[in-house]
Amino acid sequence: MWEFLIPLFAATVQSGTPILYATLGEMMTEKGGVLNLGVEGIMSVAALAAYLTSYYTGSPWLAFLAGGTAGMAFASLHGFVCITCLGNQVVSGLALTIFGLGLTNFLGVPYVGLPAPGFTPFDFPLLSSIPVIGDIFFRHDMLVYVSFVVPFVFWFFFRRTSLGLHVAATGEMPAAAAAVGLKPIALRYFAVIAGGFLMGLGGAYLSLAYTHLWTNGLAGGRGWIAVALVIFAFWRPGRAVAGAYLFGGVMAFQLRLQAMGTHLPSSLLLMLPYLLTIIVLIFSAWRGRRIDAPAALGTNIEPEG
Amino acid sequence: MTTSAFVRPARVRPLPEDAAPVVSLKGVTKRFGKVVANDGISLDIYPGRIKALLGENGAGKSTMMSMLAGRYQPDEGTIEVDGVPVKFSSSKDAIAAGIGMVYQHFMLVDSMTVAENVLLGQEGAFFINPKEMESRVNELARSYGLDVDASDYICDLSMGERQLVEILKLLYRESRILIFDEPTAVLTPEETNRLFEALWRMTEQGKSIIFISHKLEEVIALADEIAILRRGRIEGELDPSAIESKADLASRMVGKEVLLEVNRQPMDLGSLVLEVRNLTGLGLTDVDFSVRRGEIVAVVGVAGNGQKELVEAVTGLVKPPLDTVFIMGQPWRKFFAESTWNRSMCYIPEDRLGLATLRNQNLVDNLLLTTRKGFARGMWLDKKRAERHTVKLIEKFNIRPGRIHALAWQLSGGNLQKAVLARELYREPRFIVAEQPTQGLDVSATEEVWSRLLEARKMAGVLLVTGDLNEALQLADRIAVMYRGRILGMLPTSEAETASRIGPLMAGVLD
Amino acid sequence: MILKIRKRDEPWKWGALVIFLGALLFSLGVSALLLAGQGKDALHGLNILWQGSFGNLWALEGALLKAIPLFLCSLGVAVAFRMQIWNIGAEGQFALGAIGATWMALSFPDLPGYFLMPLMFIMAFVLGGIWAFIPAVLKLKLRVNEIISTLMLNYIAILLLDYMVFGVWKDPTSFGFPMTPEFTSGAVIQGIGGSRVHWGLLFCAVVGIGLWAFMRFTRLGYELKASGEGVRVARYAKIRYGMLVMFVMCLSGGFSGWAGCIETSAVLGRLQPSLMVGYGYTAIVVAWLARLEPLNIAFGSFLLAALRVGVENLQLELQIPAAFGVIMEGMILLVVLAGQFFLMYRLERVTRTKGE
Repeated sequence: MWEFLIPLFAATVQSGTPILYATLGEMMTEKGGVLNLGVEGIMSVAALAAYLTSYYTGSPWLAFLAGGTAGMAFASLHGFVCITCLGNQVVSGLALTIFGLGLTNFLGVPYVGLPAPGFTPFDFPLLSSIPVIGDIFFRHDMLVYVSFVVPFVFWFFFRRTSLGLHVAATGEMPAAAAAVGLKPIALRYFAVIAGGFLMGLGGAYLSLAYTHLWTNGLAGGRGWIAVALVIFAFWRPGRAVAGAYLFGGVMAFQLRLQAMGTHLPSSLLLMLPYLLTIIVLIFSAWRGRRIDAPAALGTNIEPEG
Repeated sequence: MTTSAFVRPARVRPLPEDAAPVVSLKGVTKRFGKVVANDGISLDIYPGRIKALLGENGAGKSTMMSMLAGRYQPDEGTIEVDGVPVKFSSSKDAIAAGIGMVYQHFMLVDSMTVAENVLLGQEGAFFINPKEMESRVNELARSYGLDVDASDYICDLSMGERQLVEILKLLYRESRILIFDEPTAVLTPEETNRLFEALWRMTEQGKSIIFISHKLEEVIALADEIAILRRGRIEGELDPSAIESKADLASRMVGKEVLLEVNRQPMDLGSLVLEVRNLTGLGLTDVDFSVRRGEIVAVVGVAGNGQKELVEAVTGLVKPPLDTVFIMGQPWRKFFAESTWNRSMCYIPEDRLGLATLRNQNLVDNLLLTTRKGFARGMWLDKKRAERHTVKLIEKFNIRPGRIHALAWQLSGGNLQKAVLARELYREPRFIVAEQPTQGLDVSATEEVWSRLLEARKMAGVLLVTGDLNEALQLADRIAVMYRGRILGMLPTSEAETASRIGPLMAGVLD
Repeated sequence: MILKIRKRDEPWKWGALVIFLGALLFSLGVSALLLAGQGKDALHGLNILWQGSFGNLWALEGALLKAIPLFLCSLGVAVAFRMQIWNIGAEGQFALGAIGATWMALSFPDLPGYFLMPLMFIMAFVLGGIWAFIPAVLKLKLRVNEIISTLMLNYIAILLLDYMVFGVWKDPTSFGFPMTPEFTSGAVIQGIGGSRVHWGLLFCAVVGIGLWAFMRFTRLGYELKASGEGVRVARYAKIRYGMLVMFVMCLSGGFSGWAGCIETSAVLGRLQPSLMVGYGYTAIVVAWLARLEPLNIAFGSFLLAALRVGVENLQLELQIPAAFGVIMEGMILLVVLAGQFFLMYRLERVTRTKGE
């Protein structure tokens, strides 16, 4: 039993990691009051940016940062359309996804199937020798370890820093933030761009640690799953971790079943994560309260004067 | 209006000869598109004094104060603080200059604590500690004798408590000039008195207060100086002790003779149009009253005491418990299942642009909103006929702009309300629910709405929900006072002492 | 002198058109840069794009052909968007329509066309409608966000289509290729007068005019428009909002289903995975660019269909990846969204008079 479960749980952590980064990115953005449906596009672009950087420089860390930077650049497009130009947030996000997927498929064509250096798993000193826990959590690559820290930073940012408080106030009631002399526009840009950075890291993980080579359609709906998970998590980082690993688990399980050669057709197995997303949303609608969502989510700040 | 009289402390406060203003506005002008909201306004604010700014809705009070608070920038003219011209590019600059404002709609984040709201933008460090923030705010509240718990969430507070939080925000920022925009609208008479005492205490500490209101008696009771604002201009400044009569003050505010009284003749009562029987639930307790054709029954009370819930139940937005609400003699369910578009019930809601009209559609489509069944032929709509009727109604109610293709959002508040009224009266209702029908309207529009409602009694019974006691006393035959979801009293306006009994009832005090 | 933002008193009449053309030009400019970045002659590339889209009869036919499914999907998307129901599941509803039509075509291959064809259309509408009805019910009863549920159903629908053509419906004579047997002649929509353009075009015209008349002249159409201004106002006007949402979603899904049916029957003549080329997503772009108006949607579908044909030409002649067209679609939409700012506001030069 354990011989089957431990590798499965370890794979769960690995495939949950990009979703975790993306979910926290979307959560960051939404905390500031902006809905960003461009996650899928941003992740794809970031995955390509990271891949290309690694391919040409050979430095995975530089590539990882390049992924984050590409995420920021792309998210700021959404920021410009919604925050400055007051465009519809839903449609802008969709447009960004369309644009991002197109751009990735366009620029990535010559590299399909070519490998690039990435992150490789190593045993985390000391911790990896803990029985079971060590095997599941501490025999991964560096990006997984980084992702363990991010939810805490996220929590700390909103509970223990003034900037976090300002961002949250902007997501709840921009007028109140403006009345005490804060700059809601700037704060929203911050939330969107910081969120884009995290989404970008999620994308970078895909090409640098998950596949180590370039293929089309790398994001594979993970961006959309992230959007759903933010609702599932009631905008709290702790629950985002749970949600991300839940999906990681299903994806790992489905891959394992395919590898074991079950008689179930692969197309039905591949449906699992998407079905689960809907189920998860039903579950959170049933459990959740509306007040969890930032009150000003999805509404733009109209200029005065 | 003759609610409880405010007890003005005995104090002689002549302005010292050598007093220098802390803030001066010099020839300030502000335009929005073609509209001149403020036109060459000059005003001085002195330390330790309360300046009341009296004016009708739309006179430009809020615009002017928003400029002082740094939200808008003047197009012309200057603002001086301590004799030095300043230019505020945001609220931050105004706060730094010692100017703070309590907005009519509170600028508080519901899902955050009192401490977080008070310290927002003034945390003092990048890293914060919730416990330490709470103790800082508790200490501040204690030092001013304000009864607030810093760890409470705003959404759990009453309107009065929220206002204290807003005041704490200004005190923490050590504002020297405090602006209050219509602060008493959400308060009980008792809370209003307490607010006034707090304001006087603050002036003794040398703070200047600007008090914006359109309620005459409050202004007379509170202020050291009164400035009247009309159509964007300062109409005059006067000493409250020199005021001869309220009517005099009112006509200066409006610019013409004001009918503070309307001529209301009682009518013969007809059949029951609304009957509420022991309604408990939806936040209401044991509500029991009825409305007949030919009368106006007003429901008054501090906002949030169950008026909204009552209206929602009566108008069909929310389902009340079985056998509690009867409209035109029919049980609620049956009535709403079978109701026709005309000779039935109509609802004139408080939210004109978001609820009663289609913001981005023209007047024809807006006419059709509640009358579409009257213009339907089978599955088709007769738009030509709807257009003809729209033209007629625009004429009859003098709605501007008089084009049928004008969009709802392009209409001013008064014209939009006239359009809603025109549409709803076109349905020849037998029962009208009118919610804050004159809020935000100028005097002439108010007078028109009032006379239309009085006239409507010929065919209908009216349930008038209002926060304006004067309106209730002027229009209604009976007044129901709501407190915490109950009707504490049903008072006939024909009795002289009714006016003075409303105040205590609104605060939950039974005689 | 500074620039100030002023709210417009009157909407800018030709603004939408100006912004759209501006966005088109901007996107063409950036695309030219992308071409140049690939080491191609940008001007030559744009010329090939133009020739491929509008240059000859063959190209125009191709554009018209592709405009048919786009138009139907986009019409479906637009009805839902009108009510502020974010149905982005046209792609999945399209797939379900194709599955429904194929089911009928394979089940009753011997029926004559005048029996079989209506059966296919009905089944396509029903399955497409059901696929949209599920998120509608989830939204109304459980408050499940329809953006995500419709999108997830897209992935599921495509996998379902794969499952059918890889398994149950696989043509035994296809040498292992995932495709159904070819439809019998009764299940194939014929071309108009020997051209590639088929009778689906007429069907589009009928549906488009029908929807336009429905929106403009019927009570239900009016109620739909009114509900688009918000749930609250719909409740106020005693419009049965929930019913309307379900109705609109079924209609929306049904239209996309029809698109799937027509595309399968007229263009491929069988079901195979290559059917799914993202019409459902392009339809969202078209619907929004057309400001949800049926007539504009007709123009918009043709334009974006022409772009697709042009890009195919570009792909053939210059080996440019097909994603080039997707980039342009996304970019045009983004720029139009940003430009819509100028519909509500304008920039004004203000000379600030100096105070004393």
